[in-house]
Amino acid sequence: MPRITIDGTVYEFEGRPKLLQFCLDHGIELPHFCYHPALSIPANCRQCLVEVGMPVIDRETGKPKLDENGQPVIQFMPKLQTSCSLDMADGMVVKTHRTSEKVARAQRDNLEFLLINHPLDCPICDQAGKCPLQNQAYKYGPEGSRFEFLKVHKPKRVKLGPRVMLDAERCINCTRCVRFTDEISKSHQLTIIERGVKNYPITPPGVEFDDPYSMNVIDLCPVGALTSIDARFKARPWEMSATPSITITNAKGSNCYYWVRDNLIVEITPRANTAVNDYWLPDEDRLDYHRFNENRPDGPEVRRDGRLVRVSWEEAYDRAAALLSGIEGQRILFLGSAYATVEDNYLLKRLAEALGADTPVYIPHIEPGHGDGWLRTDDRTPNAQGCQRLGILPVDEALVQSRLESGDIQAVYVLEDDPVGSGLFSAEALADIPVILHYYNTTNQTLAVADVALPAATVVETIGTYVNCDGHAQRVRPAKAIRTVNRVLMREIGKSRLDQHGTPYDRWYNEKHQVDCKPSWEILPEVAERLGHPLRYKGPKYIMQEIAETIPAFAGATYEAMGLEGVRLVEIGAEV
Amino acid sequence: MAVNGVQSKAGDWRNYKRVLLPPIRDLHRLEVYEAHGGYQTLREVLTSDRWDPKAVIEEVKKSKLRGRGGAGFPTGLKWSFMPPVDDRPRFLCCNGDESEPGTFKDRQLMEFNPHQIFEGILIACYAMSVRTCYLYVRGEFARWIEHMEHELEKLYARGYVGQNIMGTDFSADIVIHKGAGAYICGEESSLMESIEGKRAYPRIKPPFPAQRGLWGYPTTINNVETLANVPLILRNGGEWFASIGAPNHPGPVLYGISGHVNRPGVYEYPTGMLITDLIYEVAGGIRGGKKLKAVIPGGSSTPPLRADMIDGVTMDAESLREAGSMMGTAGLLVLDEDTDMVSWLRRVTHFYAHESCGQCTPCREGTGWLENIVTRIDEGEGRLRDLDLLLDLCDQMEGRTVCALADAAAWPVRYTILRFREEFEAKCKPSLIPTGIDVAPTATE
Repeated sequence: MPRITIDGTVYEFEGRPKLLQFCLDHGIELPHFCYHPALSIPANCRQCLVEVGMPVIDRETGKPKLDENGQPVIQFMPKLQTSCSLDMADGMVVKTHRTSEKVARAQRDNLEFLLINHPLDCPICDQAGKCPLQNQAYKYGPEGSRFEFLKVHKPKRVKLGPRVMLDAERCINCTRCVRFTDEISKSHQLTIIERGVKNYPITPPGVEFDDPYSMNVIDLCPVGALTSIDARFKARPWEMSATPSITITNAKGSNCYYWVRDNLIVEITPRANTAVNDYWLPDEDRLDYHRFNENRPDGPEVRRDGRLVRVSWEEAYDRAAALLSGIEGQRILFLGSAYATVEDNYLLKRLAEALGADTPVYIPHIEPGHGDGWLRTDDRTPNAQGCQRLGILPVDEALVQSRLESGDIQAVYVLEDDPVGSGLFSAEALADIPVILHYYNTTNQTLAVADVALPAATVVETIGTYVNCDGHAQRVRPAKAIRTVNRVLMREIGKSRLDQHGTPYDRWYNEKHQVDCKPSWEILPEVAERLGHPLRYKGPKYIMQEIAETIPAFAGATYEAMGLEGVRLVEIGAEV
Repeated sequence: MAVNGVQSKAGDWRNYKRVLLPPIRDLHRLEVYEAHGGYQTLREVLTSDRWDPKAVIEEVKKSKLRGRGGAGFPTGLKWSFMPPVDDRPRFLCCNGDESEPGTFKDRQLMEFNPHQIFEGILIACYAMSVRTCYLYVRGEFARWIEHMEHELEKLYARGYVGQNIMGTDFSADIVIHKGAGAYICGEESSLMESIEGKRAYPRIKPPFPAQRGLWGYPTTINNVETLANVPLILRNGGEWFASIGAPNHPGPVLYGISGHVNRPGVYEYPTGMLITDLIYEVAGGIRGGKKLKAVIPGGSSTPPLRADMIDGVTMDAESLREAGSMMGTAGLLVLDEDTDMVSWLRRVTHFYAHESCGQCTPCREGTGWLENIVTRIDEGEGRLRDLDLLLDLCDQMEGRTVCALADAAAWPVRYTILRFREEFEAKCKPSLIPTGIDVAPTATE
């Protein structure tokens, strides 16, 4: 196998990888700005320079020349090479800044150049704290600057499109954003204009940067030149915790980070997963966080005298059990949910089976024409495939409507969905029968007819599994804390900030931001217990373990196996 | 003629007969060019059994022709880098984006002898089995573009370009492409980007154009003057060409002499002319009988030579390298004793700061910074430490960018300071106090 020596250490490699990517894969840090694994390599930032040598080949024997110690004679190239664009070759010897003063100096010089016309407005810049330029300038840059002139002035606060703001002065012209629109989203909406030190990226005349994937350039930007109009000036990176999870805007389940400050979701950014979404996130996924913060319920309610009244959780469970206990299992309609996790749906199915009811069905939320064959799908729910793998199938609307009309259905148990809002049932049709509802937001129209309203934890507050449209099972983790104590959730919550929700000494701290809700995998066993059918699990991890063991369509989908990247399940037809 | 015992390598240059710009009236017209033997060489190359493509390349190699665009790369060798013919398209680019300050020779060819360029292009196309040549001309040459397009139309009408040239089964097209006014487009890889309709950012090498050029296909790029030499080589033989001028850098060259001379202009002579001959005899000496201060031998990016450095130096790559400069495009800038070298350098740094494409960090930021500092020195506000900073910045720029523009910007700065340091020092304030602290004039007096 070919070998390469980097800073005196020998590595073996296969194929012809580029040196920078190889170094990054092997934990050898090299400063860089313009290189991105998903984009073409322009080698324009000139930051990743290294010294490269090759063994001298003896012309007569065709073998490497050896010195008096028996070591191959290495001839170093006169110019430093950009490691991002350098093809590795057998016998190559590389010196990085760790072993070569020449390289360290070149990297320092380059950072001095990058900073001379950079505004250095880090104190007011959104990128500060997660800024490659800032970090690498501290680590590899010069101590000060020798530049004593007016910096170049360029346009500031340019609204490129509805979601992205440009500050051209901060730009270091790495062209990542331009390459993204040219090579990845193919909208070609950005270009570099002007020349030399006046260069900056912008849309062509008359073009608006309304690419449905436009906000990815914000994460690509290695400085604060491109910022999110939605998120800018809201929170500093060090005030937030980032929780790895997935988005639930559609069936793709793109991997993301939920950024939380003061127990509110502030921003959603992409998380790399080449099996699902590469490095990207559609703008709609990214802006779809208000549902976690706004219109959230405040504790369980039951209907008394035609009005929903706030009660304790115990009281609500009792009431739900009491309403169901008098009804024959066959007469209860259990509605599963493509918004809820596999675990929650599984528990609902177990409850329905215990009561002798039909297998639950779910309400599909399909929006034809919404998908683009990439990271957006027609299906606007995150877990339709998870439901189907459990045997929970789309509802036959005509059938259940006629059963309800004829009085065949005497109670409805709704898991995290909105049958009235989605048009399955009218509010009048449900008015006279008991309706037990797990819901996320007070905008849920079924609330008007619910007899027991149980606030359920959303994807950012729970633990569970979602199966995306390609059969990729992925875990979610709690990013926000709920008000009630749940040790399983508390153990899992993100630790990227020691105190995830701020302390009372933070000015923005607000205790009201903890929603009084519970994950459905905590609610359902309570109800089942009261109906005489205990569903005891130590937590969702164990529920999923049971699912993976007993249902072939979920074989291998344990929490350990899913980790951060998820696992690809067998084809849905394959196990039949 | 001998100066300090050194011979000119140009031989009997006083009786030299011009071949690139021969003194023939209306030579730019197809009829006149043909009447003087034009396109005979092409006809012979296309029809004679002696000339298969390989033989043409061998002949060009034998001539030792070196590129006239500045880098001086052996042309025959460059042609032989083209991969074997397959079903992919192949391209030739003729680089007429002449924009180096002090260089104005290609324009003369385009104006007075365009058909020799076309003939050279067609022979080169034949030698490399290329079907399409882009003749890239800087947009400022609008009149010459019009003029050449007019002649090219006639060529198409005569069947000398296009399908089945001269009745043979060889076909080739020539497309004249206008630049839009950027110096960087003269760099071969950004020239290709420009033809492709993209922003003219130079490409990283490797891959070289012969492997992946225009639209990813094998491509060769040659200067206008280089290709204009090709018909001569094929007509008179490689040995004939190699015998002209300096042995290692032979052939006729268009010397563009500008600056403080009595008769500035483009002069055709063999390579290896003594610089002193060119200034004092060809160009009629320094204007106003003044003394010489400096010569920039090959366009603004080549290092300037002090008057005391040019004795016995001839215009060919080897001699100029020994003297501490380069042949470049053979555009000589002659500066007399009254020239303010700081002011001159200020103008040069302004040019490179203006023309840097801005792709690579060291060039984008460095060229502007160089201009800032040189301007400050020129305005009498500089410090002595600025000179060291300038040299430092040259170190930081040279060899660290995709293309050679950073080098071209740094060389004049470095060598003007090294060779004319006393002029810079005279304009600088002393820097007794470390960086950043201004000294009141009284404090130093």
